[in-house]
Amino acid sequence: MVDVQQPVRGRPGGLGQVLVDALDAAGPDGHAALGADRLAGLRGLLDNAARSAAAVGGWTDAEPLRLSKHLVTGLLRCPRRALADDAGASDEIVMGLVVDAAAKLATTSPRQPLTVDATLGFLAALGETTVADHLDAIGDRARLFTLEARARVERLAMAWPAIEPAWWPRIEEPVRVRLGGGAVTVAGRLDVLLGGPPTGRPAVVVEVKGGRWYDGMRADGHLYALLVAMRDGEAPVTAVTVVSDGTTQVEPIRPSVLDHAADRLVEAIRVAAGVAAGEPPATRPGGHCQHCPVRPDCPPGRAWRPEPAPS
Amino acid sequence: MIPEAEALADPHGAPEPPPPGRSGRTGEAVGAADRLRGSVAERIADLLAGAAHPIGDVYVGWHAARDVATCPARYRGQGPEGWAFPGWTAPLAGASVGRAALAHHLDQADRSGLPPALPEPFATIRGWMRALRAPAAASGGGGGPPLERSAVGDWVADAWDAGDTATLTAVAATAGRWLAGFVRVIGWPLPPKLGLLKASGPPPTPPTSWRPAKGSPVKVDMGADARLGRVTGAGRFWLLVHRVTTRDDASVRDRAAFEAAAGALAIGVSPAEVLVTAGDTGDRARVAVDEDLLDRGRDLITGVVRERATAVDRGFDAADAAPSPACRRCELLATCSPGEAWIAGPGRWRGGLPVL
Repeated sequence: MVDVQQPVRGRPGGLGQVLVDALDAAGPDGHAALGADRLAGLRGLLDNAARSAAAVGGWTDAEPLRLSKHLVTGLLRCPRRALADDAGASDEIVMGLVVDAAAKLATTSPRQPLTVDATLGFLAALGETTVADHLDAIGDRARLFTLEARARVERLAMAWPAIEPAWWPRIEEPVRVRLGGGAVTVAGRLDVLLGGPPTGRPAVVVEVKGGRWYDGMRADGHLYALLVAMRDGEAPVTAVTVVSDGTTQVEPIRPSVLDHAADRLVEAIRVAAGVAAGEPPATRPGGHCQHCPVRPDCPPGRAWRPEPAPS
Repeated sequence: MIPEAEALADPHGAPEPPPPGRSGRTGEAVGAADRLRGSVAERIADLLAGAAHPIGDVYVGWHAARDVATCPARYRGQGPEGWAFPGWTAPLAGASVGRAALAHHLDQADRSGLPPALPEPFATIRGWMRALRAPAAASGGGGGPPLERSAVGDWVADAWDAGDTATLTAVAATAGRWLAGFVRVIGWPLPPKLGLLKASGPPPTPPTSWRPAKGSPVKVDMGADARLGRVTGAGRFWLLVHRVTTRDDASVRDRAAFEAAAGALAIGVSPAEVLVTAGDTGDRARVAVDEDLLDRGRDLITGVVRERATAVDRGFDAADAAPSPACRRCELLATCSPGEAWIAGPGRWRGGLPVL
């Protein structure tokens, strides 16, 4: 059982104070390092799982299984949905991109006023056109979308703290881990990474989410903490999940958290191997069916209905 | 291992044996570079002479070499806009700005006589951006041009003058990522006698580009970020290439081959090794430079000129296509039957899994 700190809502001082408190707690003296033996054990577990799965799935270091956080979550949630071709960006996904970019802008340039326009300009300067393309595509709905985006960005702007430069704030930090001799790779880009080598401070993983809080959101921060631990040889001390509905989840990275993340990864690799070997992907209906592009061709997905809210 | 490289003992793999046939005698590395220069110049002269029409300027960098090696048809189909430098953008400027900012940071420390402090990425980049705009008077001179001059510096200064904060912030983000990854993977303090290439400040940097003949339209540009050790006739120095992200590991040897050959051409001395580092994995791959590696580098370099010469009269020809996952992002896909067939066949698998 993973030890979870309760999500924070409406706490005095808001997100800024929560994040500052988390960084204070994670200060240079507050880091109880995860032993090298423990990390080596996790790598051994994952390497073995990757080798076994590669024998089934047929992956090699030249043509590996490439996993991302979305694919890991998708394979565990509903393999059929995970393997469906992308249907393009939804409002929900694009809103997430806006909030995500606003947090990155606030991290990179704390003095700059944080607005939707500034965020869109930042994305354009980075060559990221998904949001602009989506706004063009949705026509008249763009106005309402932008109003909602403005509200979320303003809420983030009020709360996002100025981060001390000694934490070396980095955005879109890339991380990739090879498993099983390269037959399986797991890669991602962290929204924000603070500390870690060579800063002399422990690493703090920050994941920004654009939607509403749900417990499953924590898994992305756990996976990234695991990948950073294996890359740097030191486990991050904390994973912070910041959600645009005002929720902030601060979670200490205890050994059990990394064990749990590694177990999820092993299971995702196992599921992927079965599918790659020709097994039909399992279908697991749930809330994700509402936005699933293959729902029309999926009887269980069509039959699924959300549970009525308790009266 | 050269003494300066001791600090870089590779935690991710055993060191390779010394390059075969290299005794370390003074002049040997110069001879290897001389032979390479002669061989490359001769091939390029033949290719230019055999072209149906004169070709324009040919820029030979790693990305062009990789494009040609990956799919010659796609490279030829890019046309003049694709062959030329596309102009600075924040993603493209990340490494150049990160390197320049780090060089400036080291230079400032050198002037002060103090050991350089650990460079906080954003503060270091902002310091360099400010120096771009500071008149020479600020460093004790009597006015005049800005302290730092470089193509990417001029572009950043223009963005500053235009009040383009979006671009400046995006540059800080990409350059910060480069700088943080470089320092994390190489280690701090940086190894002694590490010299950043293509960046101002001490120590003096060797040439980083080469033309096969005076007035030649072909320019070979090395992409290495730093050298390790002094450049001497014995060639006991390394070139260091830092990559922020690495989709796969298959191209490491080709990258080392290209940089070894381009470095030997530009500097006139063949390096002993190429160290290829990766920010996303933290890997440091050491590749010994031998004749085989230089030959591969020569083929990559002359391959770019060959395809440019071919493009003059044949242009895009799908018959030369080499389909791969790159087809998914190729603007020529609609006119490329091998690419379309690949997308409909093997391309239905993505990252090792079938797409439904």
